[in-house]
Amino acid sequence: MTPIDSLRAALLAVVMVSSLTGCASTGTLQGADTTDYKERLLTDADGAVRVSTSVLSASESLSIYGADLAKKGIQPVWIEVENHDDTTYWLLSPGLDPNFFPASEAADAFAPDIHSRTHREFDQHFQQLAFKNPVTPGSTVSGFILSNLDEGVKMVEVDLIASDKFKSFYFLTDVPGFRADYQEKEFEHSAYYAPDEILNYTDDAAFRAALEALPCCVSNKKGTRHGDPLNLVIVGGLEDAFPALVRRGWHPTEATYSGSVRKMITSVLSGERYRYSPVSPLYLYGRPQELALQRARNSIHQRNHLRLWLSPMTYHDKQVWVGQISRDIGTRLTIHSPYLTTHKIDPDVDEALMALIEDLAYSQFLYKIGLVKGVGAATRDAPRRNLTTDPYYTNGFRGVLFFEDHPTSLAEIEILPWEGEAGGFVEQANKRGAP
Amino acid sequence: MSNTGVAAAGLQASSGVSRSGAAVFVSCLLCLAVCGCASWQAPTTIDDSSLRERAVTSTSREVQVSAAVFSAGDNQRYFSANLNDSGIQTIWVEIVNNSSQVLWLLRAGTDPDYFAPLEVAWPFHKKLARDRNNKVDAYFDSLTIASIIPAGETRSGILYTNPHRGIRVLNIDLLGQQSIIPFTLFPPVPGEVTGERVDELEQLIAASQANDYQDEAAFRKALEDLPCCATDAGSSADSGPLNMIFVGGLSDIGAALVRRDYRQLPQPLDKTQRVFGRSPDIVLRKAGQGGSAANWLRLWVAPLRYQGQLVVLVQAGRPVGGRFRAAADNKPLLHPDVDEIRSLVLQDLLYSGGLEKFGFVEGANTVTEAQLFNHPGEFSYYTDGLREVLFFITRPLGLADVEFLDWVPLLERRAAEAAAQNTNNKTDEQDRH
Repeated sequence: MTPIDSLRAALLAVVMVSSLTGCASTGTLQGADTTDYKERLLTDADGAVRVSTSVLSASESLSIYGADLAKKGIQPVWIEVENHDDTTYWLLSPGLDPNFFPASEAADAFAPDIHSRTHREFDQHFQQLAFKNPVTPGSTVSGFILSNLDEGVKMVEVDLIASDKFKSFYFLTDVPGFRADYQEKEFEHSAYYAPDEILNYTDDAAFRAALEALPCCVSNKKGTRHGDPLNLVIVGGLEDAFPALVRRGWHPTEATYSGSVRKMITSVLSGERYRYSPVSPLYLYGRPQELALQRARNSIHQRNHLRLWLSPMTYHDKQVWVGQISRDIGTRLTIHSPYLTTHKIDPDVDEALMALIEDLAYSQFLYKIGLVKGVGAATRDAPRRNLTTDPYYTNGFRGVLFFEDHPTSLAEIEILPWEGEAGGFVEQANKRGAP
Repeated sequence: MSNTGVAAAGLQASSGVSRSGAAVFVSCLLCLAVCGCASWQAPTTIDDSSLRERAVTSTSREVQVSAAVFSAGDNQRYFSANLNDSGIQTIWVEIVNNSSQVLWLLRAGTDPDYFAPLEVAWPFHKKLARDRNNKVDAYFDSLTIASIIPAGETRSGILYTNPHRGIRVLNIDLLGQQSIIPFTLFPPVPGEVTGERVDELEQLIAASQANDYQDEAAFRKALEDLPCCATDAGSSADSGPLNMIFVGGLSDIGAALVRRDYRQLPQPLDKTQRVFGRSPDIVLRKAGQGGSAANWLRLWVAPLRYQGQLVVLVQAGRPVGGRFRAAADNKPLLHPDVDEIRSLVLQDLLYSGGLEKFGFVEGANTVTEAQLFNHPGEFSYYTDGLREVLFFITRPLGLADVEFLDWVPLLERRAAEAAAQNTNNKTDEQDRH
């Protein structure tokens, strides 16, 4: 029996016990759906271009498409672009979801025989509903992009391109019928801090010092034990940092409630891909993360997790998020989590951090990178342990990523002469006489 | 960049390493990971001379990059197991940084889904054997190439990636201070490509120099005159569209595609498509999530150039069923809506940073959806008959810097159609009221 088989057998036992004792709830929650998705539109404007969006619930999808898209893992996102500019814009679907479904592919899912009349009917219906480029000056175009199913909250990124021109719109939308661990929370400072608690940094040295002074690690709820290292700082917010993450395939996690736990266990047992797995709460500033994101790879055994807290700092009036990034290299049982399963994280947490930075270099919105002290070094021979007793080691640096809401090419990204590995950026920058 | 193209591959053919022991390696791997029936030992010395000997090399802006793909024998020597059988292609890379700045290897540019070293080491772990597992981890870590390469120094080591077949399209993006030094190398996968195949491709590339267009209008006309479509072997019937054209250095084209997770993954079925009397020179695929059916790009080097740049004729297609295709279906059929996949590839590549401009030319057959449906034996796809022409560059651009070429005004045509549709909708709306 392989370790995975052992795990599956153990988890199967857990599932059976849960079913018998009734301690697990019944799958995904189906809330009261609104009947008209246009009643909950989110709208934003940039200059002469205005964009509105709404995400369909499972039942709305069924009603509009005449097919159970949710069951196939497809979620339609309605987008309307009002163009009062003097140039023609094109909407780029991969910006919303790098793995979006072309309308014809979704039609294939419901009528596999390509030569059948049924397929043609599905295809024509789906194509009719699809968002159709371009958006000419003075016109309004609306339609659906078919994305991967998100539950709870969906990050909707709308990238519009014209010749030598670009506009980006970002929305956090509720998905009716589901719930997420941060659904009702705000993404603004006012949700957590009084105005006089916010400290705006305009001096780089002072900002760097403040980042170094952050706690090394997350903690448990009581604040009595240290957990994973706080190895990431994101400078930016809904307009720039989150769109960058969405373009690289990051999406919010589902709530850590028993329905999702059971789905994850089923996923482990079957080896099937499940877009979600629960992310347990960790604590900073006396509260659990505002946002938990994940980027699924080929299976549940290969995921990257990102937890973020909104700090009381700003940098040139931009939000500063403090976070923790880790890479799963497996799933294992644990008695240190109420959910009984946890991700086996890569103990080389710097690897996960570097991988995130390197990946976001391709996001278009990352424009500056720095490394600062503050995590505290831990060696492979004397590793520290997180709250589920996984060991980790690190060179002690946290990555600081600065985002802007306009594209920066790979050839324009600035590397701050802060900290780094031996022979790294500081030393090199000093050689060049940089500050 | 110097030394680009397949010439950089160094014409190293197959290492000839037998893969007959693959089953044994898998068994050993599983045994090591699970029952611990054999004690795993890190090799006391690692001889990388065979990798160095067959490595391909490229130099640009005082930086030299060399790379070789592991053979089964290299895997055995390094890991006592063949990682190929676990879907991992191991690449040896050496970076000599003679520039005056520190460089950062962006592994996501080589493979957006690359494997971390300890992820690869994890199956080698044994239960309740912490010290032993730590040694395994330390060994895998020690083999891995460092991301940071200080000025004046050399770093070499391993990258664990998803596989390419035949010839690896290996992109190495080195990030400097507000600069990027991109490399694309083409190391052969040992045992999977012959020297003759590489020779043939090099000859095609060399021969295309004889027909180098300088004038844009003449070049555009030449593109329209390129074959409309692929044929079956031994027939002249249209068997697939040629709906895209790539213009640029092979390195730049490769870099853009690899950054967006396209992999060189030819399949036997590709050989049935012929242009210029031959099967595709290069075939790249981009899989859907979970390893599901992949979109394909079949590439043929065209016998012409534009201002010194290669011109590549491309068939972009996706399989019927896409990600919902039955796993047992191993003969993917071209989905007839080929304009949709053409648009999808363009949108995807806009995020690569490697596109400078794009436009459309005539040249493919025009087939309407109604024609296809009413004459199912006669046509296999429908299209507006246009080809998308994509120009690639070395220095990456942001999304705001891509130029739309005013050639065949597809965009305007679509815009006019959209405006007309808009007007019709308004009229319908008024009629209803």
